[in-house]
Amino acid sequence: MKLGKIAWRNLWRRKRRTLITGISIGFGVMLAVTFTGTGDYGYTNMINTSAIMGLGHVTIEPYGYNQTPSLDKRLQKTGQIRERVLAMPGVNDAIVRITGQAMFASASKTIGGMFMGIDPAQESPEQNLLIRSMVQGEVFSGKDNRGVVVGSKMAEKLNLRIGKKLVYTTTDVYGEIVSEIARVAGIFKTGVNEVDGGMVLLPIDSVRTTLHYDAQDATLLAVIINDQRYAERMRDSISLAERDPQIEVLSWQQTQADLAGIITMDRSGNYISQFLIGLLIAAGILNTLLMSVLERTREFGVMMAVGMSPRTLFRLVVVESLWLAIIGIVIGIIITAPWYVYLYYVGLDFSGAIGEDYSAGGILVDPLIRIRLYKESIIAILTGVFSLTLLAGLYPAWRAGRIPPVESLKAM
Amino acid sequence: MRSIPIYLTILSVIISFSYPVSLSFPQQDNAVRKRAKEILREVDDMWRGTSSHTILTMQVKTSHYTRTIRLEGWSKGKEKTLVRILTPLKEKGTATLKSGNNIYSYLPRTDRTIRLTSGMMMGSWMGSHFTNDDLVKESRMEEDYDPTVSFEGRRNNQDVIEFTLIPKPDAAVVWGKVVLTVLTEDYIPLIQYYYDEDMNIARTITFNKIKQMAGRPRPTVMRVVPADKLNEYTELIYEKIEMDIKLSDAFFSLSHLKRK
Amino acid sequence: MKILSIASRSVFRNWRRTLVTILAMGFSGFIMTLFAALMAGMLQTSERNAVAMNLGDIQIHAEGYRDDPDLYNRIDNAVGLVNKLQQAGFYATQRIYGFGLAAAGSASAGVQMRGVNLKNEVTVTQVHKHVMQGQWLADSDPMGVVIGRKLARTLGVRPGNEVIIIGQATDGSMANDLYTVRGILKSIGEEVDRAGFFMVERSFRELMVLPEGAHEIAVMRPDRSSDLESAAAQVAALAQTYETLSWRQLQPFIARILDLADAQTIIMILITYVAVAMVILNAMLMSVFERIREFGIMKAIGVTPWQLMTLIYAETMIQVVIASSISLASGWSAAHYFQKNGIDLSAIASSTSFGGVAIDPIWNAHVTTEALALPIVFLFIIAAAAVIYPAIKAAVIHPVKAIHYH
Repeated sequence: MKLGKIAWRNLWRRKRRTLITGISIGFGVMLAVTFTGTGDYGYTNMINTSAIMGLGHVTIEPYGYNQTPSLDKRLQKTGQIRERVLAMPGVNDAIVRITGQAMFASASKTIGGMFMGIDPAQESPEQNLLIRSMVQGEVFSGKDNRGVVVGSKMAEKLNLRIGKKLVYTTTDVYGEIVSEIARVAGIFKTGVNEVDGGMVLLPIDSVRTTLHYDAQDATLLAVIINDQRYAERMRDSISLAERDPQIEVLSWQQTQADLAGIITMDRSGNYISQFLIGLLIAAGILNTLLMSVLERTREFGVMMAVGMSPRTLFRLVVVESLWLAIIGIVIGIIITAPWYVYLYYVGLDFSGAIGEDYSAGGILVDPLIRIRLYKESIIAILTGVFSLTLLAGLYPAWRAGRIPPVESLKAM
Repeated sequence: MRSIPIYLTILSVIISFSYPVSLSFPQQDNAVRKRAKEILREVDDMWRGTSSHTILTMQVKTSHYTRTIRLEGWSKGKEKTLVRILTPLKEKGTATLKSGNNIYSYLPRTDRTIRLTSGMMMGSWMGSHFTNDDLVKESRMEEDYDPTVSFEGRRNNQDVIEFTLIPKPDAAVVWGKVVLTVLTEDYIPLIQYYYDEDMNIARTITFNKIKQMAGRPRPTVMRVVPADKLNEYTELIYEKIEMDIKLSDAFFSLSHLKRK
Repeated sequence: MKILSIASRSVFRNWRRTLVTILAMGFSGFIMTLFAALMAGMLQTSERNAVAMNLGDIQIHAEGYRDDPDLYNRIDNAVGLVNKLQQAGFYATQRIYGFGLAAAGSASAGVQMRGVNLKNEVTVTQVHKHVMQGQWLADSDPMGVVIGRKLARTLGVRPGNEVIIIGQATDGSMANDLYTVRGILKSIGEEVDRAGFFMVERSFRELMVLPEGAHEIAVMRPDRSSDLESAAAQVAALAQTYETLSWRQLQPFIARILDLADAQTIIMILITYVAVAMVILNAMLMSVFERIREFGIMKAIGVTPWQLMTLIYAETMIQVVIASSISLASGWSAAHYFQKNGIDLSAIASSTSFGGVAIDPIWNAHVTTEALALPIVFLFIIAAAAVIYPAIKAAVIHPVKAIHYH
């Protein structure tokens, strides 16, 4: 459009001013990308790590288990449920587990803790943090033998080594006390004291026998999905597919409300900060545009005198601000790109600052800060830049249209 | 979670700590084993009888406290036991009922009966050096261990037989092995050692003061000493033992638990 | 001063252009002030949440207690020590701990019982304000207890329900008694949520036969901005043979996280400043360069380059002074408002994730002198730096060139 060309040339009449404003917008883009991207990466990391600590992104549980867990509540025919879930798009894995509380004893001492009954064939270091953190020995080979994998702190307290025996006592499905023996096959160390001192892995079929469960019973099915952002949607689809009053499907936001709370608060804080800075840049843009309008008072006066409508002038300035936005974004991309690539592939390593123990409320924190920008975030940032710039341009554009021709000719 | 010191009383272990015994028959392994098991059962019945009634005092000395309580207990077969505290006054009336795999405790102070859960099993029983789990496991010693004779002959001017019990691979016991020495005559136990898996002694039980009670000589004082705290002990002193008395099943019911 | 009056006249002659510039600077300063205050507030809130909820600034234990919490490993004469600390100006409270089993109906759970000294505890921590359901403890209700959120769920109890506690007392006897749930706490931390069982101190002592002594003394500095290390040293001197640790030593990970957040905040503020610098640079450059013709004429009629530069600087300073006042006034009032009221984050976040969390989702600003002063100092520096180039240009340019400048 003709207007576009004119607007473009107007901008470049004042090269320096346009460039500086463009740079400040570009800078704002870099800021937004950095903080949104590192935030998203960090949150995604925390969510994914926490998902593989046992419950998955989406958890299928017996109804009411989340509120009051007890070993008499269980899922049945889990094999079939698992197959159906695995067939759903977006699902990376579905793992059947039994979790419960027990007392663990050796000749020296007794401690209370939790067990997770697993099928080694279904598990892998990617989907199970405890397996990933093994430091000695290995996971028991079958799902029905007498192996056990314990945490390093528990091994210490109970004076256990690979091959030594452990007796665990728990309550079965009938409410009776049962005990079983197991020999240490492996030891893990997550760095989280509560986990290392209180959790063990047991073969799931042995647990079923001990607890007098049926062959396919379990207390949870952990669903790992490809993109954690779709957790709630996945929960809804599974809920719909499995329509069973005995079952409850929960997303990680529900099973780990504390984590959800922390993330939300941090993200909100992040948005507010970015908003403030956005306002700042908008102020700068406003300043630039307004100045440029004010100094072209005579020019606009002349244009109106020869017949240009106020509305056209308005649109002209608006288009100028649009161009400014585009310039700013281009500069922003130029500034941000190398920084982004660095963060994406290398990242900032804060492990020196954090030290040994990576736990925060039982959740591991990755000391490496990297970046990951989702499509939606990119769109959001671009939209934000355009909106702010346009908004900033509104008042100057309006002023441009309002100049009475005679007045402007007098102005100097 | 920390270990939870909870009391649980099961009389069977007090009355009849299972004394597995086997005759020494050289070379005939299978026969020996079979015989040992038969004798084990016989001795078990000897101690437990079809039913029993005991009164005893338990004294516990630890580095923090010394306490003495007086108990009265009944048992019927292997599955039913009822124990009640007589003194001190503060705990009088506290009772525990074991019926099959279920264990209940009545607490007079709060007038509540609770059912024991797995979390309570590993705690010390009544502040003593026994654990609740000890008391439950006791009645299963025959199923959980393989007995062999490790020594027979003269020791300290006495004719003794020494048995070594190795836990079966599937048995849910924490010990590495148990070694029991008895007098050849009447199979009266003298001393029992519990070893951990590294074959270090974890605790020792000694039996003393043999007296004639309920028709045969029995040790009336039993002392448990933990290996890591040699100045501590738990001592059981039997005052009265009655065997094969008439006890109904209703006697071992929840309602009866509450009676003072 | 002649220059000043000329400067001010010229400033007010082009009042529209000046206004725009001043507003741009003032707004920048306002944003910087508000931002700094909010960041300071966030750090303070995080620290307060971590520390004031349960931990306290400093804690005293008997040697070896933390590694192996034993009922018998106590601080003797805890009351005396608490008094000494209070006389030294600190807030202090004694706590006693024990482990036991809680049962309600058919549910049971292992718990950590805590005997709370009501009078002193409220001076040290904020737990009493975070009761989600029901009420906090009261001396008038010795059998009333306050329990953690997850514990309440496991036991399936609500305020008014009864809970039985079973444990082993110091004399080896079985401790047992019946209590009534008086309150349920919001989420304070994993330990308290799962196993927290708070009782009136007197009731605990009776239950566990523990007439004297305590397991932990929690101390709070009277002035939370004073140096933590020196306060800890002071407390250690009073506690003598017992182990004294600051919250940073007790929870090194939280300490590092906060330090990290601190560093991040500084980076964010620096970035803000750079963004501001851009805005002001732009404004100043524009305001000088478009008057270059005017300056050229002035030179033509005899104004010396030096005088011209001084004039430009004078104009700039006037504008900055006005802008600073605007920024200070607006920044301070906004920061103050947010200090008192705070931004309610739960409105922005989805509401469900905040149910029952003891961390207030309210983000309060914290007005510090740095938050107010630094932006102003910065404005001056940037404005001065920004005008250097155009001022020199204006000063040296040939008048004829200037008149034709564009």
